[in-house]
Amino acid sequence: MLELAVSQPNKSASSVVRLVWNKLGSIHLTVILCLLLTADLTIGYICLNRRTILFAPLNDIGLATWIQTYGKSNLVYTMWFFVLLGLLTLLCVNTFVCTTDRVVSLIARRRHFRPRRLFFKFAPHIMHYAMIIILGGYLCSYLFSQVLITRTLIPDVPFNLPGTDARITLIELDPLYYKGDRLPAFEDRVLQPRAKLQIMDGDRQQSAMLTYNRPLRCHGYSMFLKDFNPKRKDGGMNRKVRIDLTIRKDPGVILYLAGIILFTVGMAMYLAEWMAVRKG
Amino acid sequence: MLINAQLLFKIAACFYGMSLICAFVFGQRSRTALLVLVLGLLANMAAVGWRYWLAWPMLPMYMGPVVLPLFLGVMLALSRHRDGGWTWPAVLTLIVVIALAAVLFPKDYYIPFVKSQTIWAHLFFWFGVAGRGCFLIAAAWAMAGLTMGRGETERGRNGDTQFKSSPRHPLTPSPRHSSSPASRSMLWTVWGFTLWTLSMFTGELWSYLGWGTPVVWDDPAITTTMATWFFYICLLHLHLTGSWTARGRGMYAAAGALVVLVLNCVPELGPFRWPL
Repeated sequence: MLELAVSQPNKSASSVVRLVWNKLGSIHLTVILCLLLTADLTIGYICLNRRTILFAPLNDIGLATWIQTYGKSNLVYTMWFFVLLGLLTLLCVNTFVCTTDRVVSLIARRRHFRPRRLFFKFAPHIMHYAMIIILGGYLCSYLFSQVLITRTLIPDVPFNLPGTDARITLIELDPLYYKGDRLPAFEDRVLQPRAKLQIMDGDRQQSAMLTYNRPLRCHGYSMFLKDFNPKRKDGGMNRKVRIDLTIRKDPGVILYLAGIILFTVGMAMYLAEWMAVRKG
Repeated sequence: MLINAQLLFKIAACFYGMSLICAFVFGQRSRTALLVLVLGLLANMAAVGWRYWLAWPMLPMYMGPVVLPLFLGVMLALSRHRDGGWTWPAVLTLIVVIALAAVLFPKDYYIPFVKSQTIWAHLFFWFGVAGRGCFLIAAAWAMAGLTMGRGETERGRNGDTQFKSSPRHPLTPSPRHSSSPASRSMLWTVWGFTLWTLSMFTGELWSYLGWGTPVVWDDPAITTTMATWFFYICLLHLHLTGSWTARGRGMYAAAGALVVLVLNCVPELGPFRWPL
């Protein structure tokens, strides 16, 4: 009798858990969340277009600081962003539960498929897990990034990378200029600002080239060229040589890059199978 | 110089308009309509090539509304399906509308920026345009399905179907429906989604390499890009669940044209300018 009384609440508790799990993994929830995300992001476009200045700091100051400052004090324009965070969190939970259910089911039925076919059956699940990894990477990036905003380097004055022995010195700016007269506005303007740097790390010394779209990595930091001077061959108004760097230590990068690769692989597998089936 | 990229594009827009008129007068797939369309495509191609030549190795700015008619036109000229109902005139109408908007509301006069000198910037742009083009063609097929009244009649399948030993892929219709407008719409949607996703990923890579962050919040277009992505994720999942009727899904896919035009083409248009 007592055993029955104990097992009854256990049974009902597990059935509640099962019910919540099923609801969270429902594909109908996915559809609703996607529609809500579409609507929310459309509202977001209007807010972002009108108040870009409120959101631009998100690039540098991190999510927590942004919420405490810009986010909280401009709720009319930032509310959509908080809704976006909530919806994306729900979507991640939904995707995880739904995909895990299906992967478990697929593994249980693995004997029904040939190995090659089983391999391709994992394609959509790889894409779904990859999406969670990408979003996790973003969150990690916005929560834990260390950003040193705009460090200016002038020639021969070294800069110490925080928490390391590394010293970075700008040797010279060796730009490539725009050639030809196709774009008059670009005549004599710098096309590729190539900054020659020297990195002293203890006894080690090495040279490196920093330019746009080619960041430099050192001691877990990534350095991005933000701006430079002079921008013209004749120097223009200001001829003093300088480069502005954004320096970041971002633990999320590896996650979202891995997620992107994984998603692309999953998508390629999915398309390959889809095309093979269409061709019969 | 008498001839320039803007003039070439205006000529292309005129040819597109004439092709649409010819399609209504001489028949949808008449040789005259096709010939005029090809002339328009050649002028459009020259305009795009010219802009690229000027900006190279940088990416020309706000070129979407100029390249999109070219992509749609090439797909239309190469299409072999003769049973598309209103698909041909629908796509041709979209080409004319977009080309006209690009002529009357140009924004491509901005000079390119130095950070766009990377393969990722160019891939981001071309994948994006191709993705948008596929979505618009998918919407045209969906509209054709709705007007022809012989859309996909099955209610769709449960997502679990993919675990059965059936050789059919979840997004592949049964042979009975494989040539229906709904299945063609789905085909274009899948390609559009793939290209759109690749555009987002290459954009993220460019953003990371150039600015150090995968999302640059200075550009509001990031939100409309994501909104479009979620809109089409929803459509793909609707197809799997079968929770909506085939007609409902067709209407949703057709509404995709509005979503793509409003969220992704309108932001690339500038203020009104008299074209002459």
